[in-house]
Amino acid sequence: MSEASPEGPRPSASPLDGVRVIDFTWIVAGPTCTRLLGDLGAEVIRVENEQTLDSIRFGRPHPNGFDPPNSSGMFNWLDRNKRSITVNARHPDGLGLIKQLIGVSDVLVENYSSRILENWGLSYAEQCAENPQIIYVSLSGFGHSGPQRDYSTWGPTAQALSGLTSMSGLPEAPEPAGWGYSYLDHMAGFTAAAAITAALRHRRETGQGQWIDLSQVETGMALTAGATLDFTVNERRYRETGNPPGNRAVWPQSAPHNTYPTAGDDNWIMITCTSDAEWERFCEVSDHPHWRSDDRFATLPARLRHQDELDEQIGSWTAGQDGRALMQRLQAADVPAGVVQNGVDLVVNDPQMRAREWTATRDHPIIGEHLTDGLQIRFSRTPAHRDRSAPVLGEANGYVFGDLLGLSDARIAELHENGALG
Amino acid sequence: MTTVTQARALAGIRVLDCSEPQGHFTGKLLAGLGADVIQIEPPGGSAGRSIGPFLDDQPGLERSLYWWHYAGGKRSVVLDLFSDDGLDVFLQMAESADVVLETWQPGRDRPFDPLALAEHVPELVVLSLTPFGQTGPWRDFAWSDAVGLALGGPMGSCGYDNIPGTPPIRPTEHHASHIAGYYAATGVCAALYERQSSGLGQHLDVSMHECMGFTIESSAPWALYEQHPLIRQAGRHAGPQPTEPWQYPTADGRLINIFGMPRSEASWLSLVGFIQSKGMGEHLSDVELLDGRKRQLGLQQPSVAMMLADIAEFIAANEAEEIYAGAQAAGAAWSIIRTPDECLSDEHWHARGFFVDVEHEEHGRTVTFPGAPYVLSETPWQHGRRAPLLGEHTSELLCAELGLSTEELGMLVAAGVAQ
Repeated sequence: MSEASPEGPRPSASPLDGVRVIDFTWIVAGPTCTRLLGDLGAEVIRVENEQTLDSIRFGRPHPNGFDPPNSSGMFNWLDRNKRSITVNARHPDGLGLIKQLIGVSDVLVENYSSRILENWGLSYAEQCAENPQIIYVSLSGFGHSGPQRDYSTWGPTAQALSGLTSMSGLPEAPEPAGWGYSYLDHMAGFTAAAAITAALRHRRETGQGQWIDLSQVETGMALTAGATLDFTVNERRYRETGNPPGNRAVWPQSAPHNTYPTAGDDNWIMITCTSDAEWERFCEVSDHPHWRSDDRFATLPARLRHQDELDEQIGSWTAGQDGRALMQRLQAADVPAGVVQNGVDLVVNDPQMRAREWTATRDHPIIGEHLTDGLQIRFSRTPAHRDRSAPVLGEANGYVFGDLLGLSDARIAELHENGALG
Repeated sequence: MTTVTQARALAGIRVLDCSEPQGHFTGKLLAGLGADVIQIEPPGGSAGRSIGPFLDDQPGLERSLYWWHYAGGKRSVVLDLFSDDGLDVFLQMAESADVVLETWQPGRDRPFDPLALAEHVPELVVLSLTPFGQTGPWRDFAWSDAVGLALGGPMGSCGYDNIPGTPPIRPTEHHASHIAGYYAATGVCAALYERQSSGLGQHLDVSMHECMGFTIESSAPWALYEQHPLIRQAGRHAGPQPTEPWQYPTADGRLINIFGMPRSEASWLSLVGFIQSKGMGEHLSDVELLDGRKRQLGLQQPSVAMMLADIAEFIAANEAEEIYAGAQAAGAAWSIIRTPDECLSDEHWHARGFFVDVEHEEHGRTVTFPGAPYVLSETPWQHGRRAPLLGEHTSELLCAELGLSTEELGMLVAAGVAQ
C-alpha cells in the first residue's frame, strides 16, 4: 500500500513492491528477516530511538573510521534497502504516531523479548484496532506462550538449547565446536520471511491478517530431525554412538567423507564419496589406483570400518598439494570435492561468485564506496534488488511523518521538542 | 495436532516437487504452509528413501526416518521423467500446477529445461534449486551437503582454537539444504504473491552456494569491507581477534553457555545474588564489575578474566538445570548445551505444542516429530499425513485427477514409466 519512494520507482518491479513493513528489529535475527523483505521489494521502515539504538549501529568493522551511529559496516550489511525513522514508543505522542503508521502498513516485525511490545501498548489486539489486516511477527527465543516465555536468548544460547551446537564437533573433544556465528539468528530471520510471504499471499486471497509467533529455539529444533527421530523412533540418544562425528558422514553413509590438509597454513579440502562409483573415480585420479583393490577400501562397509586408515592415507596424499588445483582435478573426474572457503574467499577468490556478480559496488554517505553481497533468489521477471545502502539514522522522518502521515512541519518540530520524535 | 479444517496459507497451491534430496526440505516447507506437494519419484524411489537413520536400523524403502520427516505431508507419484511417455504425463500435470521444483544441475542430464517450461506455461512458478545456480564455471560441480558447506562459507567459521592442528568442522544434518530451502520457499511464496496481481509466473534460479554466503554473520562484513578473515574458536563466534570461552562444564557433566551476560546493572546484581546464594562468586562483588563495559566479553579485559574465573568455578560446582533456571530467572540468557534428544524433556516445548505425533499405520506406531518452525494464528503449519509410500498416489493423481484411463496407466506401469 505504499506510494513510490522519494527516489521514484525502480526500473523493474520486485515481487513485494507495494508492501510496507514496520521494522522494530535489532541485532541480527530480525534485521536478517527484514533485509530479505527489502531485497524482495518491500518498503521497510526501521523504527529507531536515539536513546536505545541498535547496538549493531556500533558494530565493527567501521571501514571509514568509527563515527556511529552511521559508520558501521556490519549495520550497512544487515540493513541495506531499509528506511529509518526516530520515534519514542514510550512517549504517548510517539506511540500515537506508530499506531497511525500501523494503519497504513502491511507487516510489523519485532524481535524483542516477549513482553516489550505488550508493555508499550502494541499487543497484537492493539495493532488490530489500528489495522485489522496487519501481519504481526514476534520473533523471540522462546515464543510468546509457554512456561518459559520470559526466558531470553541470543543466537548462541538458542543454538545450544536447540541441540544444534552439540551436533558440530570432534567426538573426542571435551566440548562441541558448535557454530562460529549466530546461525539461528539468520535461520530465524529466514523462517520469519518465509512465513510472512506466505501470510501475505493468504491475505491477498482472503483479506485476513494474522499473528506469526516465532521461537528461535523451535526454528533450530526443526532442523535436527535425523537425530531427534533416531531418539523418538529408535530410542537412541545422540551421544551413544560417538557423536558428533567431526567431518565424517552421518547420513547418507559415505567414506571417504572428511577434510584433508592441503599446501599452506590451515588450508583444507572436503572430499566425500557416497557411492562406489565416486570412490572408483577418486582412486583413478588419486595417483593411488591400488586403493580400489585394497580389501580394506573395496566396498563402502569396508571403508566405513577402516576410516582411520583411509583418512590417514588420503591426508598424506593431499598434504602439500595446492587445494584449488586438487579440487579442479577431482571435480574433473566428477568427485564431490571443495576447498574450505572463508568469507574473504567468497569475496575475493571464488570464480563462481565472480561469474555471477555476487558482489556489487554501492555508495553510502558516511562509509563511502563499498561492496555489498548478492541476491540469493534470481527471479526471471520481477528481480530482487540491492539498490540502497543502509539508512542514516532518521533519514526518512520527513517522508514518513510528513508525506505518509501528513504532519505539518510545525507539528513535527513540536514532536521533536516534546520528546516523541528523536 | 491442529485440525485439517483450518485455513492454510498456501491453500489451493499445487507443487510438483521433482527434487533430489537437497530440495526435499523446500517441498516440506511448502507442504507445511498448506500447499498440495506432489513428490515426483523416479522408478525405484527417491534417493531420500535410502538416507538414514532407519526404523530399527533396517534400511528399506518405507523405513527411512529422513524420508518420514522430509516427505511428511506430501503425496507420491512415481514417474520416469527421462522417458518420453513419463515426461508427457508430467507436462500435462504441469499445465494445471502452480509450482514446479527441480534440482538438476544445468549441464547434467535433465528431463526438461526449466526456463523453457516457465515460458511454455506462463502462470507457472518454476524453481531451480541447484548447488551453484544455472550459470558459472562451477554450475555442474559434483556436490554433497558437506562440500557445499565447505565451499559456501559456514564451515570456515566453525572449529577449535584450543586443539592444535584440527580442521574447520562442518555442522551435521543437511544444513546446506536447510539454508537454501528457506530462501527457495520464500522465493516461491513471493512469486505466488506477485502472481496474484500480475497473473504471471516466472523462473527462479536459486544457488545454494550463494544462499550460504549470507549466513556467516560478521564474516561477511569483515570480508566485504576489510578482506579480513576471522579466527574460528570452539563453541563461540569466530572473530577478528581471540575472545574468552563461552562454554563451561557443570558438576553433572554437562556444559553451560554463558554468552548472554546481563547488560543492566539490576540483572547483573540479580545474577551475582544467585551465584552468591550458593556460597560462591566472591570476586563478583568487585565494584569495577558494576560498570557494564567492564563485563563485556571479547576484549580480553582483566575484569572479565576475574569474572569468568568465578563463574567457571560456580558452574563446575553446580548442576546444569539449576544453573540454567537460576540464571534465566536473574535475566541472564545462559543456556544448557543440549543434545536433540534432551529437548524432548523440556515442558516448555510441549506446552507450545512443538512436537507432533503422526500415525504411521503400516508400522503400527505413532511417531513424534519436530514440528512447526512458526506458529501462524490463522493458517497453522501442519505436518500433514505421514510421508507417502512409494507411488501411493500415482493412480489417484494420474487417473482420478489427470484423467488417464486405468488401461493407460497399466501401460505406463508395464513399460516401467510409472509405479
